[in-house]
Amino acid sequence: MILEPGILALILLSLITSGTILYALRHIVPILYAWDLKSGSEGQLQLERRTYLLSTLLTWAFVAELTSLLLLVYTAENLHERFTGAMCAAGVFNLNAFGYPALLLKLGNFLLAGCWLVLNRADNSARDYPLIRGKYLFLLVLTVPLLAEGVVLGLYLLNLQPDVITSCCGSLFGSRAVGLGSELAVWPMRPLGLVLLLAYVLNLGSGSFVLRKGRGSYLFALSGLLVLFLGISAILSFVAPYFYELPSHHCPFCLLKADYGYVGYLLCGGLLVGATAAAAVGVLQPFATRPSLRQIIPALQRRAVWLGLTLFTLCFLVATLRIITTDFTLFG
Amino acid sequence: MTGWCERQRNILDVALASLRRRRGKNLSLLVVYSLTVFLGASVMFYSAGLKREARLLLSAAPELVVQRLSAGRHDLIPVAYAEGIRTIRGVGTVAPRLWGYYYDAVYGANYTVQVPTLPPPAGEIVIGPGIARLRKVAAGDLLPFLSYRREDLLLQVREILPAESELVSTDLLLLAEADFRALFSFPSGVATDLTVTVRNPQEVATVARKIVERFPDTRPILREEMQATYAAVFDWRGGLLLVLFGVVLLAFIIFAWDKAAGLSAEERREIGILKGIGWETGDILTLKFWEGTSISLTAFLLGTLLAYVHVFLLQAPLLAATLKGWAVLYPDFRLVSRIDAFQLTVLFVLTVIPYTVATLVPSWRAATIDPDSVMRD
Amino acid sequence: MPLRRADIFGVLTASGLLLLLALVLRGSGPDPAEADRLTRLQRLVTEAQLTDLALLTEARYTRHPTQADHFAPFQDHPLALDHFPSGMFWSPRRPAP
Repeated sequence: MILEPGILALILLSLITSGTILYALRHIVPILYAWDLKSGSEGQLQLERRTYLLSTLLTWAFVAELTSLLLLVYTAENLHERFTGAMCAAGVFNLNAFGYPALLLKLGNFLLAGCWLVLNRADNSARDYPLIRGKYLFLLVLTVPLLAEGVVLGLYLLNLQPDVITSCCGSLFGSRAVGLGSELAVWPMRPLGLVLLLAYVLNLGSGSFVLRKGRGSYLFALSGLLVLFLGISAILSFVAPYFYELPSHHCPFCLLKADYGYVGYLLCGGLLVGATAAAAVGVLQPFATRPSLRQIIPALQRRAVWLGLTLFTLCFLVATLRIITTDFTLFG
Repeated sequence: MTGWCERQRNILDVALASLRRRRGKNLSLLVVYSLTVFLGASVMFYSAGLKREARLLLSAAPELVVQRLSAGRHDLIPVAYAEGIRTIRGVGTVAPRLWGYYYDAVYGANYTVQVPTLPPPAGEIVIGPGIARLRKVAAGDLLPFLSYRREDLLLQVREILPAESELVSTDLLLLAEADFRALFSFPSGVATDLTVTVRNPQEVATVARKIVERFPDTRPILREEMQATYAAVFDWRGGLLLVLFGVVLLAFIIFAWDKAAGLSAEERREIGILKGIGWETGDILTLKFWEGTSISLTAFLLGTLLAYVHVFLLQAPLLAATLKGWAVLYPDFRLVSRIDAFQLTVLFVLTVIPYTVATLVPSWRAATIDPDSVMRD
Repeated sequence: MPLRRADIFGVLTASGLLLLLALVLRGSGPDPAEADRLTRLQRLVTEAQLTDLALLTEARYTRHPTQADHFAPFQDHPLALDHFPSGMFWSPRRPAP
């Protein structure tokens, strides 16, 4: 293990999140079983009080979860000079077998935690705890990936060996390498670009449909997730090379460096937050018909749709602008 | 939106008024909190500054240094090795390097004596600012040295290295090869070690491997390794201090928990009255949130700004004392004032988040007090 | 309207945050004087062929940690307490291959 402030902070955040989840688990089981709003019993009163604590605690824990993604990427970026062979975060994540799984779990949990926060927001806005069962059931499901992430992240950070020679982005995302990253990186540009464009148009269409008619939320959520997946593949396959003006350099992490104006934070962050907003629209949909939420959920959904569409469009514009304006071309 | 802002502003007003009512308790909390942040921030700024300086300065260090080992100890290397190394493919130039230590028995200090690539003329020396300070000499003065043959050697100070170079040169004594050999009775035909340049920077590791194959009694040291050594040293150093800081942090968290959990009868009555006049549990939680946030933010800002002044303007007197050890010569350097968003984020996570977590449960306890049970007391 | 506590707090906190932001930005921008200083120092390092910082001059291995055996501060066993105070900061593990 390396004693580095960033690593200590990550471990602390991970411990706090996992601890909070475990603490919450102890209390949500009674809520799931014995919740009865009509009853005025002492037990029910205790449960209602408890929900305030759980809601606040979990909100903090999930906000911590969201920020720790940024911290993880930034720490890896910062650590690369410590390891022979690592030129950017790609090599640092590759230091042991747990690096990329930890990152992927963190990305997935970002999506899920974001959805939970939106659900919690909807529940807190209404008077009669309409989503109490739904959100705590969701939390029960969320526990597994969240705890798994804590374990994998811990294994990754505690097993960082300074004397391992790692391979960096050139070989990780190159055409000769094996693995998910390189598989995505070699997807041909034209078909991938076309499918991405289709997914984006579908997202745009269903989004405006949600805004106008209040329907089509599931399509919007699905297409949003599709845009995220295809967008990341596109960054690996051809967007990154356009920014580097190097046909063979596919690394997504070098985009996070100051040399490229931190554009990676905008592209990856925009895609991720946009997809989270889109997914939240879908997650809210089944509860839209509850009487006390009839006003609240459509309003929340509309805001999420606006956020998602704005962010996707921004990413799309930035990437397209670069592809059009640079002299470099992948079409030889 | 304006309604929401106005509401938060009002609650913040109430929070600040309630903090003010318990001035003594909250001020002591603020002082301890700020000191905790200050300690952590000082350690982080200082070690990051040193790390950065080492990385940048050593990027100009020799690409490859080749030492000879004899029975597991660093030994003098025959200059003839240079010929052999030069024939390895990819090697640019090979130069012998002459350096050693001179112990000044009068002052109890160790100087690093070295022959640079462009040495001063024989009989003259260039010294680091630390030596000049210790021996109270200026350019043009004569400095006596005792050679290994017990003969006095008088060398004239030609130049004192600039103060800005303290961090690499404070104890440095640069002199001509002839003087070096006279001072240490250094045998001819050998050097302390060899520096090697490699034509293609990507092949340094390959060249180093070939050198060890050709000369099994040598040890090559790559420039990348020198930089990694310093990164590791400062991370370890900073990390150890951070672990000590962790103990301080834990003590502080317990302190904060205790302060938050120990609701006075007066506080309970206040919350009871607020509830009685129509505040809801959620509002009280917001109130508690603002109380905590105002203390956290103030302490964080005070702590980091004080640490900035301490490390970059005052040259970290509190930390330097622990680093100095028993050395007689210590560089008097000023770190480049530079902090980044990452350090601040990490600091925030390490100090504010634990505090928030520690006070969440107590503030929930406070927020769910039954109004009637309080007022009946 | 009299100044409210919340506003005073808001202004103070905001100015503190702005100051911090200014300090961060000040460090991140290009600085010609700093670049000059670095060039001069790097030239000195290259000309004198230096490999180490003159930070701890008390012992050979603290003056030149990159040139010493990595176990130099730990002659007895990896966690042995070192003679010199600064030795306690030395990592007992080899930093790089």
